[in-house]
Amino acid sequence: MSPALILVLAVALAYLAARVAFDWLARHFLFVSGAEYLLLGILLGPQVSGVLSANTVQGFAPIVTMALGWIGTIVGMQFHLPVLVRIQGEAYKLAFLEALGTLAVVAGVELVVASNLFGMTYAEAAVPAIALGAIAAVSAPAGIEVVARRLGERGTVVRQLQVTTAIDALVGITALGLLFCIHHPEGTATWRPITATEWAVITIAIGVVGGALFHLFLGNESDPDRIFISLAGAVVLASGAAAYLHLSPLLTSMVVGAMLVNTSRNREQIARTLASAERPFYFALLIFAGATWAPSPRVWWIIPVLLFVVARALGKIGTGRLGARAMGVLPVLGPSWGRALLGQGGLALALALNYHQFEQTLLPQIVFTSAIVSILLTDFASAHIVASVVTPLARRVRRQKAESREQKAESREQEAESGEREAGSGVGRVGEGRVGEGE
Amino acid sequence: MRRVAILVLLYVGMQLIIPLEAGTSAGGPQTLLVFGFLVLAAYTVGELATLVTLPKITGYLFAGIVFGPSLLGIVTPQAVRELAPVNELAIALIAFLAGAELKWGELKAHGKAILGILGTELVFSFVLIVGALIALHQWVPFLQGTSMTGVLALAALFGAVAIVHSPSVMIAILTETRARGPVARTTLGVVLVADVVVVILFSAALALTRAIVPAHGTAGGLSAGVLAWEIGGSVIVGAILGGGIALYLRFVQRELLMFAIVVTFFGAAIAQLMHVETLLTLVVAGFITENATAGTGRALLEAMERSAAPVFVVFFALAGASIALGEVASIWPIALAIVAVRGFAIWSGATLGAKWSRASEPEQRYTWMGLVSQAGVAIGLVIVMADAYPSRGSQMRLLLLSVIAINQIIGPVLSRYALVRSGEAVESRGSAAEAAESRG
Repeated sequence: MSPALILVLAVALAYLAARVAFDWLARHFLFVSGAEYLLLGILLGPQVSGVLSANTVQGFAPIVTMALGWIGTIVGMQFHLPVLVRIQGEAYKLAFLEALGTLAVVAGVELVVASNLFGMTYAEAAVPAIALGAIAAVSAPAGIEVVARRLGERGTVVRQLQVTTAIDALVGITALGLLFCIHHPEGTATWRPITATEWAVITIAIGVVGGALFHLFLGNESDPDRIFISLAGAVVLASGAAAYLHLSPLLTSMVVGAMLVNTSRNREQIARTLASAERPFYFALLIFAGATWAPSPRVWWIIPVLLFVVARALGKIGTGRLGARAMGVLPVLGPSWGRALLGQGGLALALALNYHQFEQTLLPQIVFTSAIVSILLTDFASAHIVASVVTPLARRVRRQKAESREQKAESREQEAESGEREAGSGVGRVGEGRVGEGE
Repeated sequence: MRRVAILVLLYVGMQLIIPLEAGTSAGGPQTLLVFGFLVLAAYTVGELATLVTLPKITGYLFAGIVFGPSLLGIVTPQAVRELAPVNELAIALIAFLAGAELKWGELKAHGKAILGILGTELVFSFVLIVGALIALHQWVPFLQGTSMTGVLALAALFGAVAIVHSPSVMIAILTETRARGPVARTTLGVVLVADVVVVILFSAALALTRAIVPAHGTAGGLSAGVLAWEIGGSVIVGAILGGGIALYLRFVQRELLMFAIVVTFFGAAIAQLMHVETLLTLVVAGFITENATAGTGRALLEAMERSAAPVFVVFFALAGASIALGEVASIWPIALAIVAVRGFAIWSGATLGAKWSRASEPEQRYTWMGLVSQAGVAIGLVIVMADAYPSRGSQMRLLLLSVIAINQIIGPVLSRYALVRSGEAVESRGSAAEAAESRG
């Protein structure tokens, strides 16, 4: 049986399983995950069954890059400025503190570990360390969304979590994208080496040109088919150009997405079009990520992997708490609100896969394994973790609301009583007046 | 002006990006860059083509030629090779969508006229094209240095592709003109049924030619049983696949975009696994899906058409990019001769067939004009043929793509003319009503 056919069958079966079983599990037991596809990919890949050979997996690299581009565009579509400016600045400050704090904690720990354990220079060790920091920064929004829907709760905590996951994605993608600009293979095509700043400008420029092309291509039309082809062309071109130049397709596509959401009148239709193809791309990404995985040849690989999980958890919870205290919102968010951000999700995998695609020498397997282990450990339980944070706070908020309602009711009653007393005399006065008028 | 700006921006962008490449890229990132470029550039050229009343497909082919290795060189031969999976996917999609256009009710209603015209026109076209190739075989590159039996077999294979029509062009012209009437119905019926017949004929011709003229590195000889399985098996596998799709649409009907992509990949993969003809398998699957779902299949077909749009654009552009202009220059007299013979055969065959089946006067006069266009299915068969014959196939592909390109330019113009002259196009109906009003 050909690898392509096996792959199609596997995807179809996994999909049916997801529709039948996992939807039910998500509704009833808060089980939201894509980790099962990741496991399926590992099982099908060259490390376990060998159904998908290394060459086959390599042959599907353009599809993976396309999927990265699609995911990056979806992330970029979150940054609609008119909506963003309605959110308080403190929420962003806290989100940035948490994201950058986690990145710094994880990158710092991994820098020390990589340089001491594997004998790398600090300059070398910084590359995988920052990549791991960027991966650690991102959090899964799916669990938060499920819990919010289930609780019917859109209070301060949920809103803060939603803002934070968006900022986490921004920080993670930007950090990895800039890492590719700094640690870029030297080319021979130009008369002098291109600097990191120039690569960063090129990365952004590709995204901007991609967005501009979409607008030029679409013109004044709003036909869904035309939007689809314009979007597919712009995203594929931008991510393809980035991949061709060893830059991050995620960052360029995020710029495309941010540009489209802020400049297009058809933003709802674009979002719908992106969402319609999100699941196939997401499944493909998970399966190929699983199939791409290979154990590291280094003996002590388990140490940085485990430290990644531990440092990330400490970073998320610790910097979340410190940030909330600094912003004076600890009583509202609670001391462990950062725990709700522990779920990793598909974007972390996309970042790890992106690093694995381009970086062949500096611990690619360790970075990739760390992301996979973290996803497997946190993803199945992410909605439960969110619920464990949000539910008590929501209860507290409801209780406080109920109490304040009671207090208000009581005070209204008191006011009413005193009002009645006052109004009784007033009515008498009006009555008296009327009576007087009648007279 | 906007479209020209897109092309300039794309061209300048590619000229800036390509030299920057660090030289260490792995895993074909250029493939995706070229794919994205072709989606936008070829689609834009396709739109420019519509401004001069040419079909979009002609524009896609033209874009491939212009940006391909022969002229500007943005699409390199390596990129064309790396994008080969796009061709396979496009062929499967074209076949499925073509099969889905066959509606059982319409086939029954106009069966006599359709079969009469189809039978004579296909026989005339096939015989005359094969005859012309045999007569010209000394000047036809892929027939040189072959025995007479080989010439006959290869000419038959070439003829089986050259007689193909274009359902996609016909449907596009009908949509554009909003034509309703006997000429429109009969032409569409002939084009669609001919697709199935031609795919069967092509499968048989390819199997026989492989037996008589084996390609380098492959074993010759083919039993009647294998040939029967290639055709009969395609129908069985296609019917099972179509039945499965119909069941999914009846009981699940969710995530149709993803399902459409999976169906196409699965159909192509299962056809290869079962050693049956991919095109015929998917034509049958499309036919069963359309006719067994009583309208519920429409949503799937729409999802499929949407996902197919970028694939088709790149598919046609790649077909254009694979045309080596230098070589075309050497064969254009033969290409023109084949176009002329094919045109004559279609005219004489369709007119005679319509007369014999006692079709109406407009059908007798105008149906042949809608049969000249060639597009997706023809290019799909050319690529299958070129894969089967790696060395001769490239020469055959060159000649056939030249023939298809010429027919692409003149075919849609003729189709439109026929519908307007027969009074079935909305614009002609309007002018006829105005004339009657002024007379009255």
